Amino acid sequence: MTLANTLGVIVADDDSDIRTLVAIAVSRSGLELIDELGDGDAAWEAIQTFTPDIVVLDVAMPGKTGLELCRLIRADEFLKFTWIILLSAGVDNAAREAGIAAGADEFQPKPFSPRELSARLSELANEASRRR
Amino acid sequence: MAFDRQGVTMNKLSDSVRVMLFEGRADPSPFVKQSAAIIALLVSLAAVLVVPGLEPTHPSAVWVGAAIVVAATVVAFVLSQSQGLARYASIVPLIDFVGLGLFAAGIGGVYSNFFALIILPVLWIATGDGRRFVGYAIVGTVQAITVGFAVSGSLPETASDWFACVIATILATLTAAIVNELSSQSRKQIRAINSLAEDKERMLQRTVEYAAQLQDSEARFRAYDRMFRGVWSAVTEQSVIGTDVTGLIDAWNPGAAKILGPNAQDTEDKRYIFDFHVGEELENRARELNYPPGETVLNPGFSALVESARLGNAESREWSYVRDDGSLVPVQLSVTKRVDEAGVTVGYLFVASDVTQAREVSRLKDEFVGLISHELRTPLSSILGYLELMRDDEDNPLSPEHIKYLGVAERNAHRLLRLVGDLLFTAQVDSGKFALDAHDLVLDEIISAAVESARPAADAAGISLLELLPDRMAVVHGDALRLGQAVDNLVSNAIKFTPRGGTVTIALDCTERGAVVTVRDTGMGIAASELDKLFSRFFRASTATKNAVPGVGLGLTITKAIVTAHHGEMGVESEEGVGTCFSLTLPLVSEPAFVTVGAA
Repeated sequence: MTLANTLGVIVADDDSDIRTLVAIAVSRSGLELIDELGDGDAAWEAIQTFTPDIVVLDVAMPGKTGLELCRLIRADEFLKFTWIILLSAGVDNAAREAGIAAGADEFQPKPFSPRELSARLSELANEASRRR
Repeated sequence: MAFDRQGVTMNKLSDSVRVMLFEGRADPSPFVKQSAAIIALLVSLAAVLVVPGLEPTHPSAVWVGAAIVVAATVVAFVLSQSQGLARYASIVPLIDFVGLGLFAAGIGGVYSNFFALIILPVLWIATGDGRRFVGYAIVGTVQAITVGFAVSGSLPETASDWFACVIATILATLTAAIVNELSSQSRKQIRAINSLAEDKERMLQRTVEYAAQLQDSEARFRAYDRMFRGVWSAVTEQSVIGTDVTGLIDAWNPGAAKILGPNAQDTEDKRYIFDFHVGEELENRARELNYPPGETVLNPGFSALVESARLGNAESREWSYVRDDGSLVPVQLSVTKRVDEAGVTVGYLFVASDVTQAREVSRLKDEFVGLISHELRTPLSSILGYLELMRDDEDNPLSPEHIKYLGVAERNAHRLLRLVGDLLFTAQVDSGKFALDAHDLVLDEIISAAVESARPAADAAGISLLELLPDRMAVVHGDALRLGQAVDNLVSNAIKFTPRGGTVTIALDCTERGAVVTVRDTGMGIAASELDKLFSRFFRASTATKNAVPGVGLGLTITKAIVTAHHGEMGVESEEGVGTCFSLTLPLVSEPAFVTVGAA
């Protein structure tokens, strides 16, 4: 949990432009961007270190893939309640099903609207604060 | 060849039989038969002339008689010259009777020793085929006796004379009868022998024919054998393995040697087909078919392998072959059963193609599709995302002009995105990885949605859009997203190809064949010669290129693929300069319910 009582987000995508785009969407939603990483292995370390509330992960990344990270998070006692949003360039149902099966909460195909992602993150923040 | 030699031997045999038959049938010629009479006559004549005390009583009769016998001999000679005339040969002994009768009459008639010469024509004539010849012999004898009395001009005077005449006749008759009977029996024997010989000849002939047929069959068999061996060794890219019913390998072609390693000598009658399969795969298949291990007489894995073939269905599925070094080869394997003449299964035939390369191609294709998807969509995500950020940036609002430029960039980025989507979709259709998310759905709603989304474009192009829905709902089983894409494609095509002021009509009908969606335009039309190529990938109609209508030629390919995947059909009618009408027919789920237009 982050100190500032807002939800903390970790973003992982090997494409730095997309990573920045997601980071902007996170900051516009008012959530705290904890870290942004360019590969799966670094992302896994950061996730384990910072235990974010929300992770936004690309599926195809060097090192651990988004799907592998999903499975690791769901298998970890301290991390399993992390909200996972998967970003993927795959468009068909198979890609979505694979993501959901790996444990993702949401599947966001690319290209995505930063405006909509931002709105969705705000929604999640609201839900979380209501629950508190 | 052995058969040739045998054939010659048989021909020789049959020739010799023919010679034998010819000799058996041939009678001595009339001249040969007559030679006895003429020789006897000449000897008698010499005796008459030389031996003292044998002076003729009537010399003229002796000479006339001798002349008649000589004449008979001449006749016999003539008759001998031709087969046709030989049947008149009986006339010769009849003449002899007169000649010899006269000769004997000249030297004492029936009482003289020379009358015994009469026995010669009797013998000849009695050999004739039939009892009547005995009669002829009697008549001839009586005739010879009568001639004697005619020459002497007196009848027998004493009882002894009469007795001599009767005895001579009886002796001649008995002789004729005995000879006739003997020759009849001999003829029968000859006939029997001939018949046997003919049978033998026929059998030999048949044997010769059979031998020829056998030779022919053997030659054909050898030709088939050569052909089979040629094909067998030419198949080097497919493994062909034959087994008996237990799986013991009894045939192993060069293809099997190439794909799996060992050659025929190492495998035939030595190893089992399941030695070359992955045990786990066989077990899994056996489990699928509900064979508990150990339940069947045969190896359960082998039973699973041949299950379909055993039931008479040729089966083709992917398996892995294991080489002796443990490496695996993915194969597409067809299994068929081998049956004997009575239709009893005697084994199985396993024909396999190495699909390593095909799998690699498929993998590369999938990889390529994935790459395209990732590498093209990721930059597009950035472009569209950042354009949106610019548009939404409240701190630095854009000028109206900049907003216009931004719109152009966004529109084109979306166009590129659609194209990437279309390319991906066709690739998926190709690799058979195009799955439908199918549910029962109301087609009317899809059409209305397509019309509504096309309306801004139609308005901008000055085209009126008409929507004709039936008074009942058309329920089909399908993927709403894909069907929407199909109808969208047809409607946007119609708008693209219709000039300002034209009309595009989208209609739905429920018919016996199913739900029929038609999209009719009043556009430039398509040349009749191009209609059959219309659904080919990247094909663009000449009217499209001529009028610079944008597109890459994937829309109709995709539409058709979607419709086909829904077990539907696509049709098109067009006339250049008049318009085009595309139709797609989809199977209806059930009888459509009647609803009022308002409620629909």
